[in-house]
Amino acid sequence: MEEHSYNLFLGCVIPNRLPQIEAATRLVAPKLGIKIEEMKGASCCPAPGVIRSFDNETWLAIVSRNISIAEENGHDMLILCNGCYGTLIAGVHALQDPTTLERVNKLLAGVKRKVKGSVKAKHLTEVLYKDIGMERIEETITRPINARCAIHLGCHLLKPSDIRPWGTVEDFTVVDELVELTGATVVDYKLADMCCGAGGGLRSAELKVSLDMVREKLEAIKQAKADCLVNVCNFCHLQFDIGQVQVNKEFGTDYQIPILYYTQLLGLAQGFTPKQMGLDKHYISVEPFLEKIGMSL
Amino acid sequence: MTQIPETPPSKPRKPRIGVFVCECGRNIAGVVNCQALAERASKLDGVVCTMVNKFTCADPGQEEIKAAIEEHKLDRVVVAACTPRMHEPTFRRTTQDGGLNQFFFEMANIRDQGSWCHSSDPEGCQERAADQIAAAVAKAHHLAPLEVLKVGVTPKALVIGGGVSGIHAALDIADAGFKVYLVERSPTVGGIMALLDKTFPTLDCSICILGPKMAEVSRHPNIELITYAEVTKVEGFVGNFTVQVTERPRFVDLDKCNSCGECTKVCPVVVPNNFDANLGWRPAIWIPYPQAVPSSYLIDIDHCLGLKSNSSTSCLMCDEACKEAGADAIIPDDEEKIHNIEVGAIVVATGYEPYDPTPITEYGYSVYPNVITAMELERLINAAGPTEGKVIRPSDMQKPHHIAFIQCVGSRDERTHIWCSGFCCMYTIKNALLLREKYPEAEITIYYMDIRTTFKDYEEFYRRARQAGIRFQQGRPAEISEDPTTKNLIVHAEDISTGRPTRREFDLVVLSTAAVPSKGTQALARVLNVPVGPSGFFMEAHPKLKPVDAATEGVFFCGSAQGPKDIPASVAQGSAASSRALRIITQNEWEIEPIVAEVNPDLCRNTIVKCGICVKRCAYGAITADPGKAAFVTPAKCHGCGTCVAECPANAITQHHFTDDQIMGQIVALLEDNPEDKILGMLCNWCSYAGADLAGISRYDYPTNVRGVRMMCSGRYSEQFVLEAFRRGAGMVLMSGCRLTETGSDCHYISGNVWAEKRFNRIAARLKKMGIDERRFRLEWVSAAEGDKWAHVITEMTAHLKEIGRDAIIAENERVRPELEKRLERLLNPPKPKPKAKT
Amino acid sequence: MLDRRIIDGNKFNQKLADEMAEAGYDRIRACIQCGTCTATCPAGRRTAYRTRQLIRKALLGLREEVLSDPTLWLCTTCGTCQERCPRKIEITDAITFLRNLAVEAGYMRPEHRGVSHKFIKTGHAVPIDDEKWSKLRESLGLPPLPPTVHCYPKALREVQKLLKKTGFDKLVEYKGDD
Repeated sequence: MEEHSYNLFLGCVIPNRLPQIEAATRLVAPKLGIKIEEMKGASCCPAPGVIRSFDNETWLAIVSRNISIAEENGHDMLILCNGCYGTLIAGVHALQDPTTLERVNKLLAGVKRKVKGSVKAKHLTEVLYKDIGMERIEETITRPINARCAIHLGCHLLKPSDIRPWGTVEDFTVVDELVELTGATVVDYKLADMCCGAGGGLRSAELKVSLDMVREKLEAIKQAKADCLVNVCNFCHLQFDIGQVQVNKEFGTDYQIPILYYTQLLGLAQGFTPKQMGLDKHYISVEPFLEKIGMSL
Repeated sequence: MTQIPETPPSKPRKPRIGVFVCECGRNIAGVVNCQALAERASKLDGVVCTMVNKFTCADPGQEEIKAAIEEHKLDRVVVAACTPRMHEPTFRRTTQDGGLNQFFFEMANIRDQGSWCHSSDPEGCQERAADQIAAAVAKAHHLAPLEVLKVGVTPKALVIGGGVSGIHAALDIADAGFKVYLVERSPTVGGIMALLDKTFPTLDCSICILGPKMAEVSRHPNIELITYAEVTKVEGFVGNFTVQVTERPRFVDLDKCNSCGECTKVCPVVVPNNFDANLGWRPAIWIPYPQAVPSSYLIDIDHCLGLKSNSSTSCLMCDEACKEAGADAIIPDDEEKIHNIEVGAIVVATGYEPYDPTPITEYGYSVYPNVITAMELERLINAAGPTEGKVIRPSDMQKPHHIAFIQCVGSRDERTHIWCSGFCCMYTIKNALLLREKYPEAEITIYYMDIRTTFKDYEEFYRRARQAGIRFQQGRPAEISEDPTTKNLIVHAEDISTGRPTRREFDLVVLSTAAVPSKGTQALARVLNVPVGPSGFFMEAHPKLKPVDAATEGVFFCGSAQGPKDIPASVAQGSAASSRALRIITQNEWEIEPIVAEVNPDLCRNTIVKCGICVKRCAYGAITADPGKAAFVTPAKCHGCGTCVAECPANAITQHHFTDDQIMGQIVALLEDNPEDKILGMLCNWCSYAGADLAGISRYDYPTNVRGVRMMCSGRYSEQFVLEAFRRGAGMVLMSGCRLTETGSDCHYISGNVWAEKRFNRIAARLKKMGIDERRFRLEWVSAAEGDKWAHVITEMTAHLKEIGRDAIIAENERVRPELEKRLERLLNPPKPKPKAKT
Repeated sequence: MLDRRIIDGNKFNQKLADEMAEAGYDRIRACIQCGTCTATCPAGRRTAYRTRQLIRKALLGLREEVLSDPTLWLCTTCGTCQERCPRKIEITDAITFLRNLAVEAGYMRPEHRGVSHKFIKTGHAVPIDDEKWSKLRESLGLPPLPPTVHCYPKALREVQKLLKKTGFDKLVEYKGDD
């Protein structure tokens, strides 16, 4: 069985707030032949919506440092968060310019590091779809999920499209296919392409505006009568999960839409228990969804 | 019969050259000391007379030249003034009037590529001007008398494309008494205009005004109409084109069919009708629309069930019905027909087609049924269309009440097409007014970025729409979404005027799509040997002064084939193109410039071994090389790019008026003093030389280090020119030509720059190996419109020149001299190949 | 009802546009103010943020007005405007650049300053700053601290050294432990 090694980039939110996504991914990976290497000493990516908005040079220095850690063993980076993905892929792209590379290495020399820009930054979806392949994933599915899932792709997965590996923002069906692979049905909803509202530093600066955006999406998902929302970005996940509680409080609504990160859904389909997938740690109860598919916490 | 220009006998006596320095008012004299230039020129070898004129091109100036020719018994004339692209023809005539062969004239450009772009450095400018004059004098030494070629002319014309523009071109030529072949690809003439309902700004019924013209075209004794046909091969040259037209089989006899329509009643096939924008149906035996010309049905062989050779059915119900109706017009075994015609001029009027906006996914075309294109709306509004003039929503066939138009879909958009399609603002306003007429209570909104209603009566038309209550909202919509139950559309756009985002619901949205080049434009361009521009539309020879001429003599463009335009402009261009064509075909003889290539049969390799490289390089098919015989250039077919000259491994080809001696002479003269400070630039007449001129016209200032040598095409830049320049100590060498990108080539000789690039790569690799700094030899594409780019390139190269430093350059040149000389020797005197041993 | 908000056109200049072009956003001058960006902006639909107007002000050189504009911080960097702009202008990147200039000029949200301080202190914008998070990790079978700077003090020092070098700490007015 073919094995692929990747440097797992954790970022901040996954290990420090939503470790269930980390746990689920670590359990699911070996089944797919993914060998995880730790990026020891990695820091915040740094967050594109905050740090890059404050100072580009700082952003460049820190992202290059993270890339240099991956370059130590040369494996491509596996990234679970759209924000970290956006940062790291932009960082690798920036380092292709010789002048920038020279300038950054002068900075890194001060901490005895060197970067080349030689490893690739890959999102989970790219790794699954292109490297592992749908066939291999399908083989690991033992327990099909019979549910209606809405999908939230997030923004930085596909944009800016000119430095992404997908070629086009239109007709992107990769995540639809990945979800359908687990046996679920993908449910379309109005505003599926809309931003969740968390990024760009908005969630920290103007929570209410940020929540108004996710509220609009929750309403559309509710209208489409989906059993859950599946996402591929933990920051969006946080916005939809903790955010949903905050939305209900702020706007007097009562949304109860379970939110799952893709590896949690995949793990369930591979036979892992909901507890193993950390589904008991969510803010919005996942129980109605589990009931629907014949499982329980 | 074409005449081969005379090669002159060698001239034993010394030339008597006159140099005339023009002040051009203050244009030149304001920066350069013309007296000093004249004095310096008088010391050059061969110069027996110099003069300074205020305005050489004016009558007094010309008289002075003629007087000087007589007084000093001059046999060559050099004028140092503006760009030859401006006044070379003027001074050639002056020279001829003065009693000399007009090709004994040469120009030095000291204004557009002198005083106008070097005003910040008068000293450097003076040096450059003096050098350019010396170069012109050097070329003058080697000039030879040439006679223009005279070719016979076939007094017939070909018009490709039977839309409104082509129809008018054909009628004008036919009315003037000349035979015209009008070839149209679809089964009927009329083009897009025949599909429209009403035309702006008069709201004329489109087919009503076009129909009579279409009928005239089919009736005119001088027009031979060939429809359902394409031009598949074109050979020859101006005045003498041989054209192959391939006519597809209709399976219906044009003369017997009387359009009774009995066949359609029995045909079992139903397919979408592309003349109805695929909104309506038609059988396999069909007529595009009732007013089609020629008025005859045809069978669509791809969908017919009875005629395909591998068809297991044999339907032929139409044949039965037709026989019963008394016409018996079906021809089941009809075949493709090839017409071989001879014409003296060709007019291309192949029009445009509307863009399919499916790729602009945020607008949902092809996904949301109630988002339609402007062309689809035209067919709905048209009484002869699929709904007999009822505009209805595709999803439920109901009348729309809230209609939105979105402008610039696929136009003015760098993601699809950057150009403005020109007529969409007008046709949308027209359609809005027509809808208002049909549905007085309907609310109509036009979303726009700008409203462009530029021509006669167009602004009044716009005001009429505003006053009729059509709503105009400035703000390009970002997206359209659909209500799944009602299939209504929601449009998100910012209302720029109030600066607030808006969201509105409509039950029908019409997209004003871009006008893009017709399918098959690229292929036809190759058949005709004419260039297309970066937009994909045919490229005219000169945007201001030759808007309907192709760069290839004898070929003309009109209508939207050359760029989107409205009906009045298309008609005007049709007449313009016909007038240009008539210029040629009304004459018995036509003159061709003798700047052509000629093979020296004694040096040609093809007599010894199989070569034929020149044949392959020629984009015009002007060269033939029969086995064992020397290659031969048909002078009338040769367009004078010089690519074959530079590519010939035996150095056996020469180009009249741009011979190796003439060019080498210029290079030597330009690099006489302080060569290491100079950039020897080779510029092609149509693009980079024009671009360099434009830099001067636009007054872009750039360093004076450059020294220019003009040739017709970058394909002419021989390797020996480059090596000789370095051997003479040049600081840098620059090859510049017409743009070559992945999307196409602007080369006026089709592919000269392709060979120039390949040659550059070879030479650059060789020079790099020899140890010459890479920055010292460059290839830059500069189009006629890129004056700023020329200035930028020279500025950058001069900076590099200073960076590398004089000493380093001199040292490098010294080091490579032996190798250069060895290579040059090989190039100038290539060894004769050994004949292959016969086994 | 006096409202002297007429813009002094003599103050229009190219400086901010030049800065943006130098930073690599040279397409910004091609903007024809079509409004696609504002129309598509999810934040613009629920706030006073007007993408197009902000770019317009930047192109007019109204530096102070742009950099001090609070709506500059309402963009979520979703990138849709950049995708749909018919001039292919890198709008989102340009907004991010303007934010850099704003921070440099002293305009920064206190919440963002807070996040930055956490970043300097811990190497994470969202750190484990309460034992409930490490306990959460443990309940899932993960080690209490992830293998990031949280586990490697030397790595954290590297990050902090870099932040000092780029002047980030001064930029966000970090004065040591807070």
